[in-house]
Amino acid sequence: MTTLAPRGRATSDAAVGWCLTLIVAVPFVVFLVVPLASILVRGFETPDGLGLQNFTQTFGSARFWDLTVNSLAMAGLSTVIVVSLAYGYAYALQRTAVPLKPFLRIACLVPLFAPSLVQAQGLVLLLGRNGFLNRFLGFDIDIYGFWGVVIASSLYAFPYAFLILSAALAVADARIYDSAEALGAGPLRIFKDATLPATRFGLVSACFIAFTLVVTDFGNPIVIGGDFSVLATEMYNQVIGQAQFGLGAVIGIVLLVPAIVTKLLNNTLSGRTHAIITDGARPLTIEPSPMRDLCWSLFVYGLVAVILSVPLIVLIASFTQLWPYNMAFSLRHYHFDVQNGLAPFKNSLIVSASAATIGVVLSTLAALVANRFRTALSGPIGFLSILPSAVPGMVLGLGYLVTFNDPANPLGFLYGTLTLLVVMITYYNFANAYLTASTSLGQIGKTFDEASTMLGGSRLTTLFKITLPLLWPTMIGMWVFYFMRTMVTLSAIIFLITPSTQMASVSVLQLSDRGAINQAAAFSICIMAVVVLCLALVRGLLILTGNRHVALIR
Amino acid sequence: MKRRMHISLSTVLVASLLGSAAAYAEPITVYTAYEEDEANAFLEAAKKAIPDLEVNLLRLSTGDLAARIIAEKNNPRHDVLWGFALTSMISPEILDTLESYAPQGVDNVPQRFVDDENRWTAVTGYMAAFCVNKPRLEGAGLPMPTSWADLAKPAYKGEIVMPNPASSGTGYIQIDSLLQMMGDEEGWAYLDKLDENVAQYIKSGSRPCNMASAGEYAIGASFALRAIKNIEEGYPIAMVVPSEGAGNELEANGLVATSENKEMAKKFLDWTVSQAAADVYYDWKAIVTIPGGKMPQNFVDAGLPADIGSVLYDVDFQAAADDRDQITSEWQKKFER
Repeated sequence: MTTLAPRGRATSDAAVGWCLTLIVAVPFVVFLVVPLASILVRGFETPDGLGLQNFTQTFGSARFWDLTVNSLAMAGLSTVIVVSLAYGYAYALQRTAVPLKPFLRIACLVPLFAPSLVQAQGLVLLLGRNGFLNRFLGFDIDIYGFWGVVIASSLYAFPYAFLILSAALAVADARIYDSAEALGAGPLRIFKDATLPATRFGLVSACFIAFTLVVTDFGNPIVIGGDFSVLATEMYNQVIGQAQFGLGAVIGIVLLVPAIVTKLLNNTLSGRTHAIITDGARPLTIEPSPMRDLCWSLFVYGLVAVILSVPLIVLIASFTQLWPYNMAFSLRHYHFDVQNGLAPFKNSLIVSASAATIGVVLSTLAALVANRFRTALSGPIGFLSILPSAVPGMVLGLGYLVTFNDPANPLGFLYGTLTLLVVMITYYNFANAYLTASTSLGQIGKTFDEASTMLGGSRLTTLFKITLPLLWPTMIGMWVFYFMRTMVTLSAIIFLITPSTQMASVSVLQLSDRGAINQAAAFSICIMAVVVLCLALVRGLLILTGNRHVALIR
Repeated sequence: MKRRMHISLSTVLVASLLGSAAAYAEPITVYTAYEEDEANAFLEAAKKAIPDLEVNLLRLSTGDLAARIIAEKNNPRHDVLWGFALTSMISPEILDTLESYAPQGVDNVPQRFVDDENRWTAVTGYMAAFCVNKPRLEGAGLPMPTSWADLAKPAYKGEIVMPNPASSGTGYIQIDSLLQMMGDEEGWAYLDKLDENVAQYIKSGSRPCNMASAGEYAIGASFALRAIKNIEEGYPIAMVVPSEGAGNELEANGLVATSENKEMAKKFLDWTVSQAAADVYYDWKAIVTIPGGKMPQNFVDAGLPADIGSVLYDVDFQAAADDRDQITSEWQKKFER
């Protein structure tokens, strides 16, 4: 196409746009649409051929609607809590002078790289009926139920919301704030009229991510929910408890609804967002203000203490002879007798680093296509990019299994390889990376493109000369996010692992399945230590390459 | 830049953690739901008996593995299904993937533990038991329960956790054995009463015992092996085998019809019914269908009677598998909260 077309600039821009579109769209179809469709179609399979029987059966039961109400109430409340707290936290880090920001940035991400087992176990150790608060401090808390799930889910979703909101608050045009102050606007007015509108896209994205993550998660409700059931646990019952794929698939389809709603909302919203960094923008400098910084410090350090208390108590318990009955120091839980020992770490690291690298490239490209190089497929690509967050890991894993284990699939040779694990995890975590990139991209004004065009540069030149240099600190954060997430992802990968592609997070599952809960916790601590080590290494690399000022998390 | 990070991560940092991947000669792939430590002990013994045996082992919990096998049905990747819950194995979707094969030495196994068509042989099993947290029980001034009937007494209200039979095989076995034992009418009436005392129905079979061990609740209805392991770990719990007879589940083995290495798969299955195999089973399992072994001391210490048959309820496994959908949905209607 490019060789036939006249070499006018507009044509070549369009060609670049289509090129990028295809690079993003083709793998989307092969590695997301097809696997998802292949498993969700089971919802239409009945003993007498295709039909809607599973749907009528599901929608006709009162229990389904009770669970829907439970899911909506729990996920809705968690979303409000998470997004408010994460907005405050991100605001404090980006717009005030609270001390020790690098620590605060990494500390609040700990729930990301603590396997869900650690989070759940930590909550029970802390808030359970025989937990730290009840046993040693004389409280009388019963954590199991609605509130337990809300707390656990909020902790779980916090880092995701923070990453997006942090990117949204990272950039600001000082001119707006200067003129607002000059005109006598108070801090509340400035927040309402300048800060909030500029971060609207980030806020909507964060709400969407938090809600879908929480509503599709079955790990937290299973451990801490007691008798409180939600749609995700019902799907777990159907698929894992009773091998009823059809009924499970119906719930899988229902769980996609939030993604569709968000897409429709976004279409009406995105027309109203405006860029912050334009050609004349001046970055905001933060002046210290003792009173403001003290207040925000109290908030962020209080919050970070709560977030860290959960893994911390697991860490302490892992070094204890037998929490809470024998509190003597002991290393016995670190004598791992799990099959393969520490060897699965190698696979985990290879998969995590690869998925992070591919994921950052693809999600950035997807964000560019959806926001910059608009083609006829930009809309669908935007939708497919956020879709994975509405898909439970179990559904994606089974979808990959069915698709790539099919002898008729020309890509069937990928089944059982680490490569397919990498690809699946890339798409499993796609939404958060995509939304982070889009949020940052939305703030970089399109006037750059126009200016470049007028000065004779192609949009590709603009991309490399202006957009990417502004974007790359965000991309590093996305890479770190991907890497951390992949190290502990479990529910999706148990359907793709084979004897020769074992992962470290699976070892945690093996240990916990056989009742060695303390060893499982100790193993999780080792995973976390490896992640921290890797982050330190990346940081070192940044410093060595002369990028001392670039933070791992923006 | 990204490329360089990738390489540095996968080589420099990881080098110290590298394990070497051995080259296998004609390996067989085995799927199992045996717990990871049991499976390794058994495999070690199998390799002693069959020196050229190479096994690629995939271990997942019963529910995860069942989902995986059903999803892989059009193109199975394993040669042997090993140590897999019988009531799941005889559901048609999984049974259809198996081929008839009577392992050499199958006579070691009493006939009722072998499929009429030789598609499966059940050699081991697990049984229901309560994990009772002694400090918590004493703190509440409660007597040690000895039976399911005890658990329905008002004194234990709010101190019992049980697995949810809709999500846990152990949970289903408990409910189903009670119904088989008491008959439908009396059985459901008993479950009604028990329900008033249950604090939580938990979506895993081992977690009730772990919760009782951690002191979250006084009594966790679970299975014997988890109780024994948690006692060994040091938790202050007692194992109680319900005096009415313990519900139990068998773990069976079968040859996958699509296997391309049947010769070795059959050799392995022959070993699973051998006396040598039974000797290792007895070290790990509460129920071994091949007679002639001795129960290890830690089982006896935990409170299992030497004649295990005397405390087991004689479950009708075929009926258990056939009734599963109906009983779980009835249970969900009545009790799921």
